[in-house]
Amino acid sequence: MYLLWLRVAAVLYGLASVSALPAVLGDRPRWQRICLPVTIAGWIFHFVAFVEMLAAAHRLMPVGMHQVQATLSLLIVTAFLLIWLRYRTISFGVFALPLAFLMILVPAIGPDKYTFSSSLVRSGWIAIHVTLLLAAYAALIFSLLASLFYLAQERRLKNRQSGFLEWLPPLDTMDQIAKTTLILGFYCMTGGLLIGSLIAQEHMGAAYFLDPKVVLSFVMWVLYLVILFVRRSTGLRGRRAVYLSSAVFLLMLCVWAANLFSSVHRFTTQ
Amino acid sequence: MKLLLTGVNHKTAPVELREQLAISPERLSDATRALLAFPGVHEAMILSTCNRVEMLACHEASSPDLLGFLQSYLGIETTSLRPHTYEYRETDAVQHLFRVASSLDSMVIGEPQILGQVKESYTAARSVGAVQTHLEKLLQSTFTVAKKIRTETQIGSSAVSIASVAVDLAKKIFGSLEEKRVLLVGAGKMSELAARHLMQQGADTIFVTNRTHERAVRLAQNFQGHAVRFDDLYATADQADIIITSTGSQEHIFRREHGQQFLHKRRNRPMFFIDIAVPRDIDPEINRVDGVFLYDIDDLQSVAASHLDDRTREAQRAEVIIAEEVVRYQRRAQALNAAPMIVDLQNTAEEMRQAELRRAQARLQSLTPEQQAAVEALTRGLMNKFLHMPMQAIKAAALEADTVMLEVMRAAFNLPAVQEQGKPHVPAQPSAANAEEPVSIGDQRDRS
Repeated sequence: MYLLWLRVAAVLYGLASVSALPAVLGDRPRWQRICLPVTIAGWIFHFVAFVEMLAAAHRLMPVGMHQVQATLSLLIVTAFLLIWLRYRTISFGVFALPLAFLMILVPAIGPDKYTFSSSLVRSGWIAIHVTLLLAAYAALIFSLLASLFYLAQERRLKNRQSGFLEWLPPLDTMDQIAKTTLILGFYCMTGGLLIGSLIAQEHMGAAYFLDPKVVLSFVMWVLYLVILFVRRSTGLRGRRAVYLSSAVFLLMLCVWAANLFSSVHRFTTQ
Repeated sequence: MKLLLTGVNHKTAPVELREQLAISPERLSDATRALLAFPGVHEAMILSTCNRVEMLACHEASSPDLLGFLQSYLGIETTSLRPHTYEYRETDAVQHLFRVASSLDSMVIGEPQILGQVKESYTAARSVGAVQTHLEKLLQSTFTVAKKIRTETQIGSSAVSIASVAVDLAKKIFGSLEEKRVLLVGAGKMSELAARHLMQQGADTIFVTNRTHERAVRLAQNFQGHAVRFDDLYATADQADIIITSTGSQEHIFRREHGQQFLHKRRNRPMFFIDIAVPRDIDPEINRVDGVFLYDIDDLQSVAASHLDDRTREAQRAEVIIAEEVVRYQRRAQALNAAPMIVDLQNTAEEMRQAELRRAQARLQSLTPEQQAAVEALTRGLMNKFLHMPMQAIKAAALEADTVMLEVMRAAFNLPAVQEQGKPHVPAQPSAANAEEPVSIGDQRDRS
């Protein structure tokens, strides 16, 4: 049944993505009135699907890539809605909603054939580990988006262009969003890695920490810490902040991709 | 009931003439009452702003001499006035009113003040009983159309004056202007205006500096701000988020290295420089510093001009909406007017039937009550059958706003003329609260 709700959510996200274009780029209030309710409706269906999905097999966490994608998509839309609640801007919808749509699309087509078979992934602590890290990814995506918006808005204002990119939110709002999401992401990532490490220590010992994915994760965490420190101490904004956020984001993609080379983090065997 | 609108506006009459005709808000009710009492006027409203004076009147067959009213009320010679006035009747008057309220006829297209002024005029006219069925219907439609144009087009969405462009840009940088500090370097009308706008939008503190310190103190008092000695300018400038310069200096006051220095002290929090001086007070190179945004008078003017172009484009969309709304309004009015005409037609036919029955009464006396009832039903049935086609034709003509056809039908059936008919049924009106809702105060005023 959860597949049906997921499909409904996918359709709604698709509609929301389309309506976000005139709502944001054209600043049309009528489209804004369509975009938000459709997104909220999509989120509700998505949430119901998510709960049913986890409850179906008495699991507490997503197992398999499809379910992980669906969870990340849910987190992205949640972050988009939270930003709207706090800052009253839906500009992120232009990128966040299509991204959420694309992420939910594959899980919505059919059930995952390949699931993590390891019994290890069924523990509650792992669930927290995965959810926290996914939340950190979502926060990082938003931080990068906000930094890019900041850069575009800064360029626009410096070059005195009007008309095009008029829809971009104010610089200060972008800065606050980038900063808040970065800090939230850091907390989530620290928590996630800490729990992951403790579990790994218990089950596999020190060998686990030589795995490329695990090593890259810690490099990402250190770089993350550096960015936060630099931002805090110098009030870094604009171009340089985007470079730093992009670096962490690229590393994040590497970590994601490192699963292919990881021997211990794939959970395909018992 | 017919509609007549006469007036002058900024396009047809010079300001000297408009000044003479202007009616202050305090006198508006009194003037409307006087217009209502003028011969031939049944309902009336006066719209007086610094850009226009217009009189709207509902009248019967012969149109009232509204210029004559002006002559008697204001004591102005109308011979000189006549070439500057315009006159719209019926549909044209409706269209003109829609355009005025939607700010398509304003000096600055899309300015938000005019709708509020039309509402004030409406309120004044209603308070003296000058607005009844016809004008009520027309004005409620006018407010709806103006609101529709505000929401469906972007006619008023962008700033078109220098000061408001500066405010818009500041908001694009800082989001909210609350708790933002403004530094005014030098005094000038334009810079003061910009500062005033920023303060109105929530800017917190204002610093003023001038080469003549006394002048800075005076200006600071006006703004309830703080005067800063010119010598302390570079030491305090980093505390300001927005700096407006308008000195007569021949050399740049702020250069790139100043910008870098300020930004460093501010830990990269952005700064907005507005240079209104000619020759310029700020080296354009400062704009290259990350986090510093510089706009000079030309930049502000070009932003304002491009916004004005946007408004002109949106105005074309608004004109299409107005054309549709005028047709819709006319159709509704015509359809409503058909109802009393149909009633008249039925009454005339019924009178004829009764007359014929009375004439045949002597010959029908021998009939039994049942037979008499049958005759009654037969004549009524025939009458209804005969009336069905013309009634359908009247309804169709009213919907099509085909006034010629309606007149032909009226003449063919010898029905009473329009003004003799009862008042048309009035549809449920939007609430008065809706009509009197406040309009946002903008910067471009139709009224000076």
